[in-house]
Amino acid sequence: MKPFTTPRLLRSEYDMTLLWTVLALLAIGVVMVYSASIASAEADRHTGYRSSYFFVRQMVYVAAALVAGFAAFQVRVEQWQKYAPVLFGAGLVGLVLVLIPGLGKEVNGSRRWLSLAVLNLQPSEFMKFFVVLYAADYTVRKAAFMHSFKKGFVPMFIVMFLVGFLLLREPDFGALAVMTAIAAAILFLGGLNWRLFVVLMMVLSVGFVLLVVLSPYRFNRLIWFWNPWADPFGKGYQLTHALIAFGRGGWFGVGLGGSVEKQLYLPEAHTDFLMAVIAEELGFVGVVATIALFVFLVWRAFSIGNRAASMERYFAALTAQGIGVWFAVQTVVNMGVNMGMLPTKGLTLPLLSYGGSGIVANVVALSLLLRIDFESRQLMRGRAP
Amino acid sequence: MNVGVNSARLNLRLEGWRSRLLLTVLLASFLGLVGRAAWLQGFHAGFLQQKGQERYSRVIEMPASRGIIRDRNGQPLAISTPSESLWASREDVELSAEQSRQLASLLHMDRKELDQRLNGGRGNFVYLKRQVPPEVAQQVMALKIPGLFQQHGFHRAYPKGEETAHLVGFTDADDRGQEGVELAFQSSLGGLSGARRVIKDRAGHIIEDVESIRVPRPGKDITLSVDARIQHLAYRELRNAVAVNKAKAGAVVVLDTRTGEVLALANYPDYDPNNREHLSGAQLRNRAITDTFEPGSTMKPFTIATALEVGKVTPNTVIPTGGGQMTIGSNVIRDTHPATALTVSEVIQHSSNVGAARIALSLPSETLWNMFTDVGFGQTPKLGFPGEAGGRVRPYRTWKPIEQATMSYGNGISVSLIQLARAYTIFADDGVLKPLSLTRISAPPAGRQVISPQTAHEVKDMLELVVKPEGTAPAARVRGYRVAGKTGTAHKVSGGRYTNRYVASFVGFAPASAPRLLIAVMIDEPSGASYYGGTVAGPVFSNLMGSTLQLLGIPPDDPGSSAFSVPVAKPTASEDT
Repeated sequence: MKPFTTPRLLRSEYDMTLLWTVLALLAIGVVMVYSASIASAEADRHTGYRSSYFFVRQMVYVAAALVAGFAAFQVRVEQWQKYAPVLFGAGLVGLVLVLIPGLGKEVNGSRRWLSLAVLNLQPSEFMKFFVVLYAADYTVRKAAFMHSFKKGFVPMFIVMFLVGFLLLREPDFGALAVMTAIAAAILFLGGLNWRLFVVLMMVLSVGFVLLVVLSPYRFNRLIWFWNPWADPFGKGYQLTHALIAFGRGGWFGVGLGGSVEKQLYLPEAHTDFLMAVIAEELGFVGVVATIALFVFLVWRAFSIGNRAASMERYFAALTAQGIGVWFAVQTVVNMGVNMGMLPTKGLTLPLLSYGGSGIVANVVALSLLLRIDFESRQLMRGRAP
Repeated sequence: MNVGVNSARLNLRLEGWRSRLLLTVLLASFLGLVGRAAWLQGFHAGFLQQKGQERYSRVIEMPASRGIIRDRNGQPLAISTPSESLWASREDVELSAEQSRQLASLLHMDRKELDQRLNGGRGNFVYLKRQVPPEVAQQVMALKIPGLFQQHGFHRAYPKGEETAHLVGFTDADDRGQEGVELAFQSSLGGLSGARRVIKDRAGHIIEDVESIRVPRPGKDITLSVDARIQHLAYRELRNAVAVNKAKAGAVVVLDTRTGEVLALANYPDYDPNNREHLSGAQLRNRAITDTFEPGSTMKPFTIATALEVGKVTPNTVIPTGGGQMTIGSNVIRDTHPATALTVSEVIQHSSNVGAARIALSLPSETLWNMFTDVGFGQTPKLGFPGEAGGRVRPYRTWKPIEQATMSYGNGISVSLIQLARAYTIFADDGVLKPLSLTRISAPPAGRQVISPQTAHEVKDMLELVVKPEGTAPAARVRGYRVAGKTGTAHKVSGGRYTNRYVASFVGFAPASAPRLLIAVMIDEPSGASYYGGTVAGPVFSNLMGSTLQLLGIPPDDPGSSAFSVPVAKPTASEDT
């Protein structure tokens, strides 16, 4: 990347294309959450049988996320770096609090939500962002020890082990997978000795395999994901319905609102399996368009990171690329699950799936990405960020 | 910038290959997703769509409308109108106290019952109410109670209600015939339900109509032989007679003597087929067809006809009647009007048991049995009606003399009212017996000559004497018409013994010069002032025959009789057995 040869970037003070991409994804999310949730909301006593229940809430979440994002954009990258360990600590406290009976709310066998007076918070969604900040700050602080196993690798490993322990108590295996990927990727980008990295990968692989084998419910999910048609009405129920949705969608989809799978067949249609409804209603064309928006977002995160790196703004660079890794991994895993390439995880589709904590955390992170880009442009213009 | 960051910067070197490698891996993953999507949505889509069809495509039944039952003039007796069934998914139902009140009042249920339906019982599915008028169902659905659904169907309505209840019968909640014509003609009335393939959501609502598999074939309409106007008259007269005579039950049959068509068939007690709650078996019974009774003296004409047919007697042959008493073994047969001798015609006119018995004993038992069997006793009349009774005529080889004697006047034999009515048509129609029909027919069916026309005329002449002032049933006369008929008063049998309860009957036809209508009346256990066939059943016959003849515009054949007055019933003056 040679940012200075691209005059286009200097035309604006902000990365408008990235901003519009994010807004486009949020808009698709609101529309598809509404479409996917109409039937289930209408049939559910908890929603008061109101078909717009999830739609209205998603609108409120997006509005709140945009307000939060605007506020976050005002904070200088320097400040983010300064408070990274504090935020990370706060995230850890949140992960502990959800495990306390009375504070943590249990849904579908998982304690992932903090019940506050008016809203439910999901600390693990924010923790993904805090892991990005913490890992970037850590790498910058420990830059001298990136070749050392003891000083460069072990401290981070211990911290992440603690996070992993808390997440598995909920349990939230998907969030742990994403955070582990973020931390490992940032260490790798920060120059962690490649031999150490290989060891890290091996240790992680063995760890994940052990987690899967030792937990019957994860093991079952893994087994049934290989051949969902062996028990299509039992363990393969959700996945087979997701696959049928893709098949029904075909190249061009059955049309917005036309999904049959969302008519109470496909569980979690508006959250984890939103992509299946997109595939059914908008077809392969819609799937590729959604993927393209994410690809652009990830590519842009890496470009912004590279430009920051070229300006020796290392924390900013690692944060930008860490955010890119976060969105890429979570998107790929979510879509992979929807398409039967990966076992069911319980991960949402960033920016699109229903859920307040996730959307706020996603938008705040992307605001920081825009802020990093904004400061880079200011520096290029010779102004102080 | 602090010193720590500066020193770190010296050591930190973000190598370009690392970010390029990572980005490449990530983009490759996205490419993998695109490839997988193309496989699922393009190349594997057929299989997946097939699986989808298996999951949510359903075949639903389209109810066929049931045929209309009409009377011979096209008046509807049973019609199907669209109706709704309201059902609930117990788990999903949520209703406020106000909604519960409104629902209960719309459905005419009390709140307790409603609550019981919704909260008691097992399973999630429950019918709140079936066969609800569409406008009521619409009001209920407008309450927007979650978990409450409607299902389309048909409701069977019977415009003539009680009048035609036993004849037409009714259907069950699933629109299948249960009684009467509805059951007898189920296969043609019922039609064939159709089928459609639809896509349903998981809660069972149809969200897409895919294709028609089978078009519903509506049931065929049926036109009965019954005339609703005559039916109305018959029902009214019967109900009145049962009330006046404080009887237990009664039945009336009206036949067209030329075609064998059933023009009316009424029973009492009755029921309202449109509201069948709290029904008893007694109300439901179509006595004219399903119940048999000992006919009593109405059998005598067949005994006489047998003797005339074989040339044993003529109408004027004098039969010694032994002072109204006759002893066979240890049994004594008695007449209520003792006479030393009677002509054959007088045996009928005065209904002499001794005379009939003496004539019967002069005949071979087989000959008598043949006559009874030839006119249809002991066999079902084959109307196609549910529960048709055949009655009982014991094999002649087992007859003892006393049995042959009593059978001649209708004891020791059992018949249904419709059998009796049909048998009498031989005297009205020159000795020809025709099959009966419940449906309207265009041409008279072929009959069978049972007795010679001469015998038939001779018996008819004797039957005309019965309604003369000296006969047993002057009350059965019809102003302006010549009437032929016969009374019957039989003790009822209970536990093998004759009791002091009676069945009073009258069978007759008119105009006697060219018979058109035949009416048979049976009143069960009259307990008023009289129990004789002539006084209890006779007036029913007279009133009904008179009004029906006028209704059909049949010209009088005895205009001179218009001055007579109907005598008050006097049991001592006109008795029979």
